[in-house]
Amino acid sequence: MTAGAHPAASSGIAWIDDLSDATLARAGSKMARLGTLRRHGLKVPDGFAVTTDVFVRFLEETPAGRNVEACLARIRGPGDAEAIAVASAAARAAIEAQPIAAPIAQAIGDAYEEFCYRRRELNSPVAIRSSATGEDAADASFAGLFDTYLGVTGTERVLEAVRRCWSSLFTERAVGYRLRSGLDYKRSPMAVGVIALVDALASGVAFSIHPVSGSTQRMVIEGSWGWGEAVVQGLVTPDHVEVGKSDRRILDYQVADKRVVSCFDYARGLVVEHDMPKRLRNERILDGEQIAAVVDAVLAIETCYGYPVDVEWVLDRHRRAGEQITIVQARPVTVKPAGDPLPQWNPVAYAARYAFSGKGRS
Amino acid sequence: MANVVSVDEFVTKEWYPGFTPAYGQAPWCTEPIDTFRKEDEKRFWFLDFHWPRGLSPMGIIFLEDGYAWGTQCSAQSLPLPPGKGIVQRLGGTHVYASEVPTASEWEIGFRAGRIGKNLPAFLQNFDQIWANRVWELEMGLKYFESYDFAGKSVAQLAQYLVDAREFHKRAWEIHFEIMYPLLANYLGFYGVCGELKIDPGEISKFLQGYDTKILASDRELWRMTREARSAGLKDLFARTEPENLHAALKAESRAAGWLKTFDEFLQIYGWRTEGISDINLAPWIEDTVSPLGTIKTFLQKSGDHDFDAARKAAVAEREAAIDKARSKLTKEEQSPFDAALASCQKANFAWWNDEHNFYIDLRATIPMRRACLALAAAFGAGEKDDTLYLFWPEIMSILHDGKRFADFKGIIRDRRQYYTHWGDRRPQMPKVLGTIPDAVTDPILIEIFGMHHHFFDAIKAKGKDVTTLSGVAASSGKGRGKARVLHGASELHRILPGEILVCEATSPNWTPAFAKIAACVCDGGGTLTHAAIISREYRIPCVVGVGLATQVIRSGDEVEVDGTNGKVVVFRAGRA
Repeated sequence: MTAGAHPAASSGIAWIDDLSDATLARAGSKMARLGTLRRHGLKVPDGFAVTTDVFVRFLEETPAGRNVEACLARIRGPGDAEAIAVASAAARAAIEAQPIAAPIAQAIGDAYEEFCYRRRELNSPVAIRSSATGEDAADASFAGLFDTYLGVTGTERVLEAVRRCWSSLFTERAVGYRLRSGLDYKRSPMAVGVIALVDALASGVAFSIHPVSGSTQRMVIEGSWGWGEAVVQGLVTPDHVEVGKSDRRILDYQVADKRVVSCFDYARGLVVEHDMPKRLRNERILDGEQIAAVVDAVLAIETCYGYPVDVEWVLDRHRRAGEQITIVQARPVTVKPAGDPLPQWNPVAYAARYAFSGKGRS
Repeated sequence: MANVVSVDEFVTKEWYPGFTPAYGQAPWCTEPIDTFRKEDEKRFWFLDFHWPRGLSPMGIIFLEDGYAWGTQCSAQSLPLPPGKGIVQRLGGTHVYASEVPTASEWEIGFRAGRIGKNLPAFLQNFDQIWANRVWELEMGLKYFESYDFAGKSVAQLAQYLVDAREFHKRAWEIHFEIMYPLLANYLGFYGVCGELKIDPGEISKFLQGYDTKILASDRELWRMTREARSAGLKDLFARTEPENLHAALKAESRAAGWLKTFDEFLQIYGWRTEGISDINLAPWIEDTVSPLGTIKTFLQKSGDHDFDAARKAAVAEREAAIDKARSKLTKEEQSPFDAALASCQKANFAWWNDEHNFYIDLRATIPMRRACLALAAAFGAGEKDDTLYLFWPEIMSILHDGKRFADFKGIIRDRRQYYTHWGDRRPQMPKVLGTIPDAVTDPILIEIFGMHHHFFDAIKAKGKDVTTLSGVAASSGKGRGKARVLHGASELHRILPGEILVCEATSPNWTPAFAKIAACVCDGGGTLTHAAIISREYRIPCVVGVGLATQVIRSGDEVEVDGTNGKVVVFRAGRA
């Protein structure tokens, strides 16, 4: 085994090639899974994880940890919404105001520099994603709770975004949820993923089973132009595509009126939300070949994990027909697969149900 | 509104002035028809839309032999699991109906087991079963329709009447013997489509585009229209009221050839009435006002109706609708859909529901009417249809027991008044009586009368200021305009182009109105009732089974009809 096969505990940095579900405790579930997907031949962005060790050291070695403790101690109970709001704001401020100690900042900065070197790009834009342990776990109650920053450029901004991801462990929702569930944040420390920002033509989510009905015969793809933030945050109604799993036939394509787009602001070096140009609002974001590529990826991930998944995908502007779609996140779906036995035509049973039951049709 | 509507004002033992039935009438029925009793209030009764004029004494035989016996006989032999058919009560001369429940849980299970064995065999052999019944019906119809009354004795006419009643009864046994299982399968198909999330407005399209005998008769009417035009009769038709057309044509020498063809047409297609099984309705063969009036309307339209093109369009629409629905299903979902569709296309309720009218609903009562009219003439009655105001035991007492027709003249006069009196009260008749349930279990009540939950919701909401009504989405699209609430086809001349027709239900003589209206709303009915079919043909939005549309909506209200989603929004006249 080479030295790079395990994330070096001392540096607190773990490259994506070295990650897998086995490293979940240190890389967080989001980054660990991306590592697993890469090992299974799926296309995921390059990048590295700032491991949970770093976060733990940050809290232990600076006053931030004590300050956070003090803030949280003022909450009397899970019903104390006002105190939760105050404590959350104070805890986040305490973290965001605390400079990262030089050795840690150095390690993160070195990793970012190495990343830029590998991409042969100065200040290469990255997506910085919270990768909590316990986040996206099978119950997935933490799903979408923590921060993501897209299009971050330069060491200073990377460090700031990493710290903000750490502080998002203490959002009101997260604090409230842990209190109600009797969980301790110390048992689910935060890792942060720093991965290449894919030049997104379109992006969105996909479900290997129907997210509402739980039907295991249908997968659903939703997406919009540009980066996925506007979709994830619910700022835009995405296009909705349903695909039959057994024959990969497109069953339904509902084009949405996509009024907002997440796009890269070169002047500010950030992904920002913008009104969608009129001509693009009602156009399909994916053609048949691109849909097939998303379907291939989602089915491969479901096979890899052996259970239904939802994924975040990105259509790279530079992707050519036949190439893979890029996956930036995958996790178990929160919906229960419907145990629905498929309708089987039986005139007697259906007559009993709809002609004689008194229920009629709706 | 309380969920019980009192039956008090209709409680009586007398069916008509001077007639109270003998104890134990119609013992062959599971439950015979009657007038209302107080205890009927515990059950749910709805005003049947098929007879807006009410029924005459002789017309009530249809309830005994057709509607009650036919449904109950079929419900026993099929059998229906939770219901034993339908029974009727007379509210004045008007028909209220209710399901005859099966009370025993064991019996329901027993019957469910039996239909489980019978239904698949019926569906599998439908073609042969229906062909056999048509053979039977045609054999009877041929005898009764070719019978020459000239020179027949009263005794012979009496026998004809008895035979005609027997045939009529048999025709209605066949009617429900076929209708119940086809309908059950149709509702099952609707159910599977619902589970597969197929747009309900599309489902009836899957079964359309098959030629029926009713369509053949329309086709012939258009042929007569073409021939009238080429015989140069267009102006004569245009300037003459339908009531005077026959006389005017007789007086016109150029029309002689056309009238001869018209008579030949009537010999084949004239054995039909405008409404369903009402002995008081004259068939075309007896009274030509309706077919001549229809030809007059057709002549006013420019051009011809291209039946072949219309049928091709209907078939194309059917195939497109099926393809579209299938394309949205997964491979696994397509297999139950395909199987259910094949089953319903083979035993096609939509097709049969039109086809059978030609043999039964519009036709099987005519021999009894002819016998009654022939007897009235033989009795020297004052009006040609006086005998329709006698009950069966009464006319039999004249024919067999030496009673004199003249002795009934006073009572016939009273009954005519009674018939008219109640006919005039139709708009005020309560739509429902007794105890309002949440649901009914008879498939005829569910589909033909549109008694889905919308119907009961609407009835229970009565009295509240309802502005949105729900019903069965019968023909897609949206239409908006002024409402015109009509209580009978005789009021049709009042409707203006672009108005929304609001009525209890429609029958074939309402069809010309559909060329002018913007949308249609009916109290009763399902996806295959007349209004639904004709609305789809004319491509206007239609919502049926709305429950109380004729009571909630007033003529002049602005109304928006959403036939795709089965919604009707009422904007009150005189409000913002």
